[in-house]
Amino acid sequence: MYNIDIDVLLVAWPELIKGIKITFFISFISSIAAFLIGLVVVYSRTMGGDFSKTFFTAFVEFIRNTPLLIQLYIVYKALPEFGIHLHPIACGIIALSIYTGAYISEVLRSGVNSITGEQYQAARGLGLNRLQTFRLIIFPQAIRIVIPPLGSQFINLVKNSSLVSFIAVTDVFYVIYKGAVDDFRFFEFFITGALIYMLLTGFIALISNSFERHYHALGRCS
Amino acid sequence: MHWEDVLNNLGFLMKGLGVTLQLAVLSIAGSLVLGTVLGVIRYVKIPPFSPLAAMYIEFVRSIPLILFIVFIHFGFLPFILGTSASFFVSACVALIIFTSAYVAEIVRGGLNSIEKGHIDAAVSLGLTGFQRLAYIILPLAFARMMPALVSQFIALIKDTSLASTIGLIELTRSGEIIYERTYHEFEVLAFIALIYFMICFSLSKLSKKIEIKI
Repeated sequence: MYNIDIDVLLVAWPELIKGIKITFFISFISSIAAFLIGLVVVYSRTMGGDFSKTFFTAFVEFIRNTPLLIQLYIVYKALPEFGIHLHPIACGIIALSIYTGAYISEVLRSGVNSITGEQYQAARGLGLNRLQTFRLIIFPQAIRIVIPPLGSQFINLVKNSSLVSFIAVTDVFYVIYKGAVDDFRFFEFFITGALIYMLLTGFIALISNSFERHYHALGRCS
Repeated sequence: MHWEDVLNNLGFLMKGLGVTLQLAVLSIAGSLVLGTVLGVIRYVKIPPFSPLAAMYIEFVRSIPLILFIVFIHFGFLPFILGTSASFFVSACVALIIFTSAYVAEIVRGGLNSIEKGHIDAAVSLGLTGFQRLAYIILPLAFARMMPALVSQFIALIKDTSLASTIGLIELTRSGEIIYERTYHEFEVLAFIALIYFMICFSLSKLSKKIEIKI
């Protein structure tokens, strides 16, 4: 029978904390960057001209239909071929932000598409320009509808951040994997890793739920 | 640019693509079966099993896939089998366990979306519980679930690239083997990305076409 050994976890604890910090840092920065990328993409696709619509549609389709691992490798391993050398953590943040940004833009777009044409006409009638229409009329209504799927995109981001360990970042997955292989203690480290990721994703789910309830209470959720 | 790296090793890359497709097809089939069973168990609410299925689904969905792949390959399968499992089997098992949780949620959503009128009609025809599920509710639900299922399976095809991390020589790993020798990473990675793109993009277009037909 398998004997659970807690000591290996206690020994690895300082490393685990360091790993959690790196995972949290990467996830946090990437979340903000991904949201901004999603905003820019959805603005360009709804309000922009024909060229930017085509360009960003192609961008989103390409990012969404290729594996994140390949995108990470392209940023980390292929960019040096063109003389661009970045820190592994920066590579991870760039790839994760772009990947999640494409997904977030689709989520936001589904919200924007649910806003009826009258809203645009009313905004035009008030003399608002395109940016004002989007910022003041369309976006505030759209974001309320898409809070739950937006939350799950951020949860996906945290889970996907584990892949940065394959481009030489010592994030929490790397520490767990290394601990499991070095000590040959798979069950302990698997359970620990599972719990850490459950806590991180659960935290985001809580935030997303409270946002949802807040906007629901305002009565503007359709 | 050194595209000859790709051209010279095209056969090797295609072999890798074959493994990727095999892995994808087997995992899709497996996760569809397991996911449907789990989804139905959650839908029909059998006391001990439904909460267990719910726990399984929530557990799996909050953990990264890579954790499953690595630990199933190096930890669980060797422990259960007593000997190390092949890369392919480990990756397949991990992908099925991971994706089935997502499929189960899609199935449950599809089942819950069926209007009560259909179920009442089936009851009035004298169908048993199992017959109602198998002949009326599930087929109706599957038609509605198609778009969500296809996008889940596209995610699975992209996720097969993670099998390269335990050493399975599928498309991504065969590309790695080439550029570890030639040091022309960009060309090989761009080509691989294009192959994944063509597979996934055509699948999503196909699903849109089916959706319009339904």
